Amino acid sequence: MRPLLELAREKLRRRKVIAVMSGKGGVGKSVVAALLALARPGSVLVDLDLEGMSAPKLFGVAGRLHEVGKEGIEPLEAGGVKLFSLGGIVGDRYVVLPGYGQAGAVEALLAFAKIDSDIVVVDMPPGMGEELLALGRAADYLPVVVTTPSKASYKVVRQLVDYLAEAGKRPAALVLNMAYLDCGGSRVYPFGRGDEARRLGEAVGAPVYEVPVDPSLEDYVGRIHEYRGPVADAVRKVAERL
Amino acid sequence: MHEWSLALSLVQTLDRWALERGVQIRRVVLSVPSPAQLDVSILTEAFDSLKRESRLEGARLEVKVRSPRYRCRACGYEFGQEEVDPQIRRLVGQYGEEYPLHLIPELLPTFVRCPRCGSHDIEAELSIKVEEVETA
Ligand SMILES: [Zn+2]
Repeated sequence: MRPLLELAREKLRRRKVIAVMSGKGGVGKSVVAALLALARPGSVLVDLDLEGMSAPKLFGVAGRLHEVGKEGIEPLEAGGVKLFSLGGIVGDRYVVLPGYGQAGAVEALLAFAKIDSDIVVVDMPPGMGEELLALGRAADYLPVVVTTPSKASYKVVRQLVDYLAEAGKRPAALVLNMAYLDCGGSRVYPFGRGDEARRLGEAVGAPVYEVPVDPSLEDYVGRIHEYRGPVADAVRKVAERL
Repeated sequence: MHEWSLALSLVQTLDRWALERGVQIRRVVLSVPSPAQLDVSILTEAFDSLKRESRLEGARLEVKVRSPRYRCRACGYEFGQEEVDPQIRRLVGQYGEEYPLHLIPELLPTFVRCPRCGSHDIEAELSIKVEEVETA
């Protein structure tokens, strides 16, 4: 028997676990996860991206370590979000972990985290690896799939959606990130209209949301909780329907 | 301090397990890998205090600290805990008491390198497991 897996399950039972995932990296998944958590004040954000650990960077808490008490791992708090990250265990050190260790790390983080919110947003690593399987063992999660409108992204996202379907899941939202740019009153679609992703959403019955490009977002890395721009507005609309 | 949350997870998990089966638990054997360096006396104290009013009320906790064998997947070298201990001691010096392997022993390959070739690609059984449960 693995007590930590059992405890992780118990911790997440009866909570809304929103898993923000993408087929590949570089589509802004962590930003979407952070803004989703911010849109639902009091929610818990768990960063399972063991190699990337972007969430602490976005919130400006990279390198800070979690306090550990009798009741487990205390969250790092920023902007009303309670953040748990492997980064808060290892600091700003790189993490290189053979696949067999990833599941254990995921289980331990979930089992020891002091989760007290009804909403748990999980920032997943890009791709479909051990962490995705580990989360599937621990929780009945709601997938939010993030992609960009580009053709290269579409291919990977379709595979992820296919996998989810086989696992009996349908994306609760398909987020087309960096979809458009508001340019002097007119809307520009720099990476294409994302028609394929839209059709995919229709085919599996998942609502598709467009999230714009906002170059000013870059200035908020480290204080994402202070950002109030069009990307946050668009992600809030996703959050409201989850 | 993390011993308390581990003990709590153990009691909660086993209590539920016992409830589902309608049994009482008499004895639990927990196996922990030595890189976690858990304080067994704190773990036992926590277990004894948390087990009250559960189906583990009369249970005794036995903690087996196992010293894993390691294998480097890059060069094939096999080695024991003693070859890893100096690296773990340095880690405790860097992070203090709640150092990462204490919380998550599976992170060992992140911090420890093969003593022969320096690779992080190290394999070992590092999970915390319940090995035996005696019921009545
Ligand atoms: Zn080696």
